[in-house]
Parts: sequence; C-alpha cells; structure tokens
Amino acid sequence: MFEQYEPENTDEATAPDDTTIENIRELGQVSTPQAPELEAQPFHCLSIIGQIEGHMVLPPRNKTTKYEHVIPQLVAIEQNPKVKGLLVVLNTVGGDIEAGLAIAEMLKTMETPTVSLVLGGGHSIGAPIAVAADYSLISETATMTIHPIRLSGLVIGVPQTYEYLDKMQDRVIRFIVQHSRVEQEVLRDMMFRTGELVRDVGTVLVGEEAVRVGLINEVGGLGTAITRLHQLTRPGGKGGIQ
Amino acid sequence: MILYTVLPLEDVLDGIDEDPTPTMMISVDGIRLEVEQLGGFEARVVRVLSTDPEHYLSPHCQPGTVINLAGF
Repeated sequence: MFEQYEPENTDEATAPDDTTIENIRELGQVSTPQAPELEAQPFHCLSIIGQIEGHMVLPPRNKTTKYEHVIPQLVAIEQNPKVKGLLVVLNTVGGDIEAGLAIAEMLKTMETPTVSLVLGGGHSIGAPIAVAADYSLISETATMTIHPIRLSGLVIGVPQTYEYLDKMQDRVIRFIVQHSRVEQEVLRDMMFRTGELVRDVGTVLVGEEAVRVGLINEVGGLGTAITRLHQLTRPGGKGGIQ
Repeated sequence: MILYTVLPLEDVLDGIDEDPTPTMMISVDGIRLEVEQLGGFEARVVRVLSTDPEHYLSPHCQPGTVINLAGF
C-alpha cells in the first residue's frame, strides 16, 4: 500500500554547505585557516589616534578619537572580570583639552591595570593620557611635543583672559606632574622653551628623552608592554613595577 | 573650547562649513544607534546611544561601521 520513500541523496552530512562553496569560489580552497580556539583575550587594547574630539564634531577629514565612545568602553572594561588589563596605544596629535583630560582621569582611576604605549606621537593632550596609565612606555622613535595651550576663536582682550589661560594650563601641568616623575619646573621649562621648535614655543621629546626627563617610565615596544601588563596583573602588582 | 594640539587650527577645522549629513535613529539587536544614511540600504554608524557599556565594545556598533538596513 505504502511504498517506502527513498530520498535520492541520503548522504546529507557530506553535502557541501554554502560556506564551503563560497570558499572554493572566492579563495580556491575548501577550508580557510582558522585561528586556534583561544580563551577570551585577557588584555584589551584601546587606540587613541588622530585628534581627540570633544564638544565639537570635527570635519570628516580628521581622524578622531571620540571620547563619548571611549568612556563607556573603559566602563565596560573596568566592570568585566574577564578583562585583566588594558593596553592604551597612543598616536595622537592632541585635541580637545576637556575630552583628553576626561579620558586621562578615567584611565587613572581604573582598578584594571593599564599600560600606555606611545607610538609615532603622543603630542599635546596625549601627554596626560600617556602618564595616566599605571605604567607608560614610549617606542624609540616616537615623539612627544610639550607646548603651551592657546585660546582659539573669539578672545576677549582683558587681563582675566590671561588668568583663565593660566588656569587651563595649570590643570594640564598638575595632572602630568602628579602622575609621572617629571618635576614641575622641568615641565614648565620644556613647555615654554623657545628656540627648540621652528614655529612654536615648546619642546619635542624623542623616545629616550621622554624617559630621561621622567615623563615616561621606559623605552619599549609591544613585547615590553605585554610583559609589564602581566607583571601588573599579578597579585600586588598594581602597586607598581620597580 | 580649547584645542590642545600640534596641528594648526585651520587644518583641524578644514571643511567645518560643509553641511553635515542628516542622521536618524535605528535599533540594531536592541542597541540604539545614530546613523547617517549612505543611500540604498546602507548607513554609517555615527554613535551609540546606550547605557550598557558592553554595547560600546560590540564590533558592529563602532562609529564608522557601515551597516545594511535591509531587514530593519
């Protein structure tokens, strides 16, 4: 009465799936190399690049670090027990002073161990961010420009403007001095030095020089940064690397 | 606003007068995103509007990511 239904293709398990066909078509091979299964990465990496964008959206030609996005990321990292440490990679030309200091303050107050690595450049507001980490590194060829802040836009020409400018300058200086080994007099001297920069007042520190003045802890690269993070994540390691 | 940067101000603000692309709000996997439409069914993420910090680590919500709106 009922004939047994025999499907034509019984071997469904070996039938190529869409990904396999796609791989043959696109890459000429059946399987693509897969990263070995790893546990979740213990360290996260945050890159601070280009201009640090503050209250004003910068024109699209700028590469920007958006602080309203970075700050919740830091919160997520701080809250997640699986994240053991944070590597902050800096290659920035500076940017909004308030946004930069906001990121620096967040980094400073994190319980999660943090290591910063200045690659290429960590100029202007990049300096407070670099020193905010528990341990700071600079690559051999990286530069840091230390220069005074200046007012842009409409400036009211009254003595109070200068006082305001001084106040804004002081909070950057205070932050750097508090979180690095640099002496306030040395930092001020570098910041207001003339004859060093062609068109500006200030100093350029290259790799080793930033360590010598006490701004940065050590000259190093990626390997050193990861080693230091491992040291910081050990019990009692947050106390500091000697 | 004080810009503390080594770049000249005119370079930073180059193109500031151009009108910004209009943005709109969408929701992707329960995450509120502000996006700018690129034409067709594509949109670029401008920012995330969420109180869950994990959303800010989600790879498809990073500002600048182009997402396909077909299906929303």
